[in-house]
Amino acid sequence: MWPGTRRDCTYVSPSAIYAATGVDTNAPTESPTLEAIGLVREYGPVTAVDGVDLSLDTGEFLTIFGPNGAGKTSLLGMLAGATRPTRGEVKISGLPISLSEHDWRSKVGILSHRGFLYARLTAEENLRFYGELFGLDDISDRIAEHLERVGLADRARFEVRQLSHGMRQRLSLARALLHDPDVVFLDEPYTGLDPSAAGLLRGVLNELKDGRRTVVMVTHNLTEGLQMATRVAIQVGGRFVWEQDASDIDFAGFERQYHAVVEARS
Amino acid sequence: MSTAGVRRGATGFTLLGLAGLIGLFWMSFFWVSTEVNQGIVQRIFYVHVPAAWTSFLAIGIAALCSGVYLWLRDEKLDRAAVCAAEGGLVFATIVLLTGPLWGKIAWGTYWNWEPRLTLTLLLWFVFVGYFMVRNATEDPEKGKRFAAVVAIVGAIDIPFIHLSVIWFRSLHPEPVVAKPDGPTLPGDMLATLMVGLGVFTLLFLGLFLFRYALEGLRSEADLRARRPAS
Amino acid sequence: MSAYFRQVCAIVKKDVLLEVRSRDRITAMGAFAVLAGVLFNFSIDTTTTRPQDVAAGLIWMTLIFGGLLGVGRTFHLEAQDGAFQGVLTSPVPKDAIFLAKVIANFTLLYAVSLLVLGVFALFFSLDIGPNLPWIMVILALGSLGFVALATLFAAVSTGTTMGETLLPVLVFPLLVPMVVFGVGSTGRLMNGRPFDEVEGNVRMLGAFAFAAVAAGAVLFRYVVED
Repeated sequence: MWPGTRRDCTYVSPSAIYAATGVDTNAPTESPTLEAIGLVREYGPVTAVDGVDLSLDTGEFLTIFGPNGAGKTSLLGMLAGATRPTRGEVKISGLPISLSEHDWRSKVGILSHRGFLYARLTAEENLRFYGELFGLDDISDRIAEHLERVGLADRARFEVRQLSHGMRQRLSLARALLHDPDVVFLDEPYTGLDPSAAGLLRGVLNELKDGRRTVVMVTHNLTEGLQMATRVAIQVGGRFVWEQDASDIDFAGFERQYHAVVEARS
Repeated sequence: MSTAGVRRGATGFTLLGLAGLIGLFWMSFFWVSTEVNQGIVQRIFYVHVPAAWTSFLAIGIAALCSGVYLWLRDEKLDRAAVCAAEGGLVFATIVLLTGPLWGKIAWGTYWNWEPRLTLTLLLWFVFVGYFMVRNATEDPEKGKRFAAVVAIVGAIDIPFIHLSVIWFRSLHPEPVVAKPDGPTLPGDMLATLMVGLGVFTLLFLGLFLFRYALEGLRSEADLRARRPAS
Repeated sequence: MSAYFRQVCAIVKKDVLLEVRSRDRITAMGAFAVLAGVLFNFSIDTTTTRPQDVAAGLIWMTLIFGGLLGVGRTFHLEAQDGAFQGVLTSPVPKDAIFLAKVIANFTLLYAVSLLVLGVFALFFSLDIGPNLPWIMVILALGSLGFVALATLFAAVSTGTTMGETLLPVLVFPLLVPMVVFGVGSTGRLMNGRPFDEVEGNVRMLGAFAFAAVAAGAVLFRYVVED
């Protein structure tokens, strides 16, 4: 479906384009795992995301920093296919994601600060429910494995409302990774976690950097975010005002740099 | 289609409609014969029925545009839907005002659940629901989608409501009054009614196009306000 | 096909489990059913009206009000826990979610409708024995159509700033066919009339239910996106 009908474009077929540019359509193309082109999100008169472009290959880990109200959650929502962009498109492995199709959603895992958990169901029931939705075969095994990984194996029978915030966050993480997604989105995963839970999260996230997955994380935690990242971006006022490979960043001076960038654009 | 073009079309339709309206009034007051049982008041019929017809045309247009809007997400379709809905609301209100008036004078009661009037009342509520839902969301795009759903479901339900109301009425038949809209409508009454239908449709289209042009200007103004002058 | 079925079952199971754990909707609707019967008894002037004449109408109205009470909260719980976003971002087709919600709500409402029937039969000394099976079918068809419309518009109203208070405004006009054909057929059957007299009504009720479920299944995705 067309993201927006535009009358000033003439339709040119893909084969015509390839013929014109001399691209060999039979050669395997290496398209980025996650791509965003001109993403814009407007809520009436308010523009939350004002044109964001993004290109990540498999194995990359992008951390997005930014002040509140910069539109980070809206951006993540569009990348994860939860929100329809006002303009622009998102592609996974070269194919534009369509909100009306759903098969591609099995490749995506989302950890939202809202939890996505049912308070009155137990940890195990929550995971089982999502396991069924994702059509997983070995649900019981996966549940046991993931609960173990996030340190909640002994709380499997506890209702979510009986779990502390940190435990819920960990359960949400288990939920996000249960179906072994290729692309993972994390929205403020470190918020409200005590040091030991944060350490556990760090461990799980490190495991995600196995080269098969692509991760995008939004966080306020400069240290952790920087440590994990292969690429860093700072979002202010709905767009990326600063972007760099993590290897080129001076960790020690980053905090100062972050504040300078944010101040300059406010 | 440019806004100026739309406005020209709108002006054309409206002027034609207004001219037709004058003609209609002349026909209904001076030319057509008086209905034998109800007397002069029956002439409201030539306004009442065309207005009802137009309001149903309106929900049809609104539902159709809404359906295609949900599919293609072209703003113009949503604009068309809201303009049709507004026109529909106006004409439905006319029906609901003229109906009881006619009823009271002709046979003594303001309201007697006459099928056409009842159906229009429910249609009126559908239009009201359309606008309530459209304006009750924080995100205007959501409001447009919700309103589209209301229009579509409303339009689908109208035939069901129509059948149910007629069946319900058939259980309690009206006192025997000559029905001016029965199958044997005398020639001159039929002609006046047809003129009425045509005129009201023209007026509706004129109103619709004016409103559409206005919405076009409004959205353009929004767009300009969003982009700072460079 | 079976993946779809599995997903629908999972959602129905989840909703039923949540309802069993919290019991808030079933208790509210059940209590409403009984109390409505009581109040209606006092609202009928038995010197001028026989309860049997108006019972059918009262049963259906109680069903509608009680139904809105329960179905209106369908998405309330989901919004509260924020869990619905999790479902929407999973590979479940939106129409599967809708159908699952309809099945879960239908189970709830149909159970309550039978309770209402029983309570009113008791309170108003109705003799519904002979035509009971057909009455149960009619209640099922009516409940289904109602639940489909109410679920769709519950999703709409939960997404507005007015919330569930908007639900009756949107749904009541659409329910006229259900009330007319439901009461028309039930009333006659409760008065001992033969089924063929009401067959037309029952067909209309069936058509209405079908149209409501189909329309909801198609339109639900446009309501819940974003």
